[in-house]
Amino acid sequence: MGALDGLKIADFSWVGAGPRATKDLADNGATVIKIESRKRLDLGRMSPPFAGDPKDVDGSAFFAQTNTSKRSVTVNLSDPRGIEIAKKLVAWADVVVENFGPGFMERIGLHYQALRKIKPDIILASVSVAGRTGPLSGFRGYGNSAAAHSGHAWLTGEPGSPPHMPPLAYGDVVAPMFLTVAILAALEHRARTGEGQHVDVSQIEPMVHVIADLYAQDEAKKTGNDDIDFLIHGVFPTQGDDHWIAIAVENETQAEALKRELGISSLDRDAISAATSAHDKFALFDRLAAAGVPAGPVLDGKNVLENPELAAAGHFVKLDHPVLGPSNMPAPPYVLHGTPGKVNRAPRLGEHNREVFIDMLGLEADEIEILIAEGCLA
Amino acid sequence: MSMLAALRVLEIADGLTDFGGRMLAELGADVAVVLPVTKANRARTLAWHHGKTVIAPDDAEAIRALAAKADVVLDGQREGDRFGLDKAVSDKTIYIRVAPFSANGPYAGRPATDLTLFALSGLMHVTGEPDGPPLKFPGQQAYALTGIQAATVALLGLYARRRTGKGQKADLSAFQCATLSNYREAIMYEWTGRIGRRRGNMLVRGKSGVRQIWECKDGFVTWSMIDNPSMMRAVVSVMEEKGAAGELSHIDWNNTLVADTPQETIERWQGIVAAFFANHTREELGAWSLEKGWGLSVICSPQDVCDSEHLKARGLFVEVTDEETGKTVSVPGPLFRSAQMDTPRRTLAKPVPASSFTGW
Repeated sequence: MGALDGLKIADFSWVGAGPRATKDLADNGATVIKIESRKRLDLGRMSPPFAGDPKDVDGSAFFAQTNTSKRSVTVNLSDPRGIEIAKKLVAWADVVVENFGPGFMERIGLHYQALRKIKPDIILASVSVAGRTGPLSGFRGYGNSAAAHSGHAWLTGEPGSPPHMPPLAYGDVVAPMFLTVAILAALEHRARTGEGQHVDVSQIEPMVHVIADLYAQDEAKKTGNDDIDFLIHGVFPTQGDDHWIAIAVENETQAEALKRELGISSLDRDAISAATSAHDKFALFDRLAAAGVPAGPVLDGKNVLENPELAAAGHFVKLDHPVLGPSNMPAPPYVLHGTPGKVNRAPRLGEHNREVFIDMLGLEADEIEILIAEGCLA
Repeated sequence: MSMLAALRVLEIADGLTDFGGRMLAELGADVAVVLPVTKANRARTLAWHHGKTVIAPDDAEAIRALAAKADVVLDGQREGDRFGLDKAVSDKTIYIRVAPFSANGPYAGRPATDLTLFALSGLMHVTGEPDGPPLKFPGQQAYALTGIQAATVALLGLYARRRTGKGQKADLSAFQCATLSNYREAIMYEWTGRIGRRRGNMLVRGKSGVRQIWECKDGFVTWSMIDNPSMMRAVVSVMEEKGAAGELSHIDWNNTLVADTPQETIERWQGIVAAFFANHTREELGAWSLEKGWGLSVICSPQDVCDSEHLKARGLFVEVTDEETGKTVSVPGPLFRSAQMDTPRRTLAKPVPASSFTGW
């Protein structure tokens, strides 16, 4: 039993910012119908790495990881008949999710007021770079645009250094987490009042929120790896090429333990570096942890995939996929002991067309076959 | 009304839950927080704990009594349960134990902070200059990510409770929260055998790399020469108007794959773009991007962000008063836009002893 068993989501979102939120919901038991189209492929299906042929729309590991536990249907939203089918999915759903470019939902007649006419208590959840209101609402950008507009890029790095972009689209990580919270809060509100609503998540604002502690300072500054609340806060070299360990000392007890374990007399950074350089990062992590000193080896992608703690926690779930074969998919970072949920593999494109259109929406099989053949449900 | 009005949340904060409790308070929940034993700087405390009722833990029994009345307990104690909450919660409570690591894995019980968790996430390894040490993101991202997941678990538990009538226990690992945000590195290794390295501000895709940061007349912008023909044409058309496009005018972007273009050719093209950007201000470039769909963003300083007309129009920043010092600070308030949210309390409250707290 999942926490969200019985919840119904019509998911029009694509790439990263919307799909990561609907993955959260699907992994917890919600029925998430992903509305896609061969005419306008989810760019996530064309994103590396691939199991084989990059042109195989079902072969992207990126897509598979981002869309676990969902069902896929194909609906051509540029065909009026496709819009009518989409409206039936809206009537079925509790929540509609979208992250289209500015104005798209209005152009196809699926804006919030139109959705309310179909289902008065519908929740529409939108996520976009700058939000649906304000002078920048028409901005077309990417996940990293939010790093620029939020101050994140400006604040990354050593004092005096140029701006530094995150190594991935961090806005596409943080914003969907906010979208999940927004959807769940809106569902609680609906349970109390019977009212739906439109929640409008911007990628920029969550990226400001997660550095709110810097904005609360008299002057937000770059600090590199340093932190004024700690006696020691940095990374130090360890044995091997490009191997490092992070050490953070919060109090005098930890400071004494660190000095003892490293055989040094003061918390001088050079002395710490000289001492850590003689150790393997994992062995030193074990030793410092046993002494009560917060430390963490700087893991690379291989280290993460092979990490014993993540394996024991079930962080990756090995699932069989018709194109990818057995492959690791990320699970939620929590266990709800009463309603644990279950991660299932991502769908092939249009895999659930018949199940959804015929069995769920009750449409005629002959009609569906015609619509598929004519490119309306494609 | 607020979305979560009258929802009672007891939070024992120590970094891991701080932003989660803040999110629930912003959504209208009545959050009572016990602050960490090790005090953070005042700015950090205000950022994460405004809008909550601050409880001084003078009486463990009184804290347990609050846990028994709570709808949600966010237990973020990094060094074990000093209040005995586990036995205090009722069967209606959603009791979320947030720890650095899983409850029973090989790292269970190890000390950790935001920095050490971020190092473990795999993100630090790929952030920074190629010849420099790994670099963290600004602020405390491992804690922030964990906090958001803590709020998520609370809301999942509430949804389930409406159906089952029962609360439940949950365990949340901060290491997993931080690692989940790293959607690239483990998967790239699994499928390609390649281990990512630090590339500075270079975006490497395919056989070549492109710049992400450019100097302009009065600061920096971010933009990349990626495989998006319509975007490339939109940029080049303005460069042509200004007589600055050079050989970029003659490139058929529909049939050019930048990712497969030799690096020296990309460097030549980027040189033309760099000269164009250097001759224009952030305002000019930002306006063209908005109008023409370039995908270019102005790199905003914190002051730019605070002064942003866009964020003002959306009401992001709010004034929060520290009741102890009387100081007022501008920090982000609403989490998103919705017609269903009232303004919550905008103060960092003075602590109330648990033994005399009568709010619940």
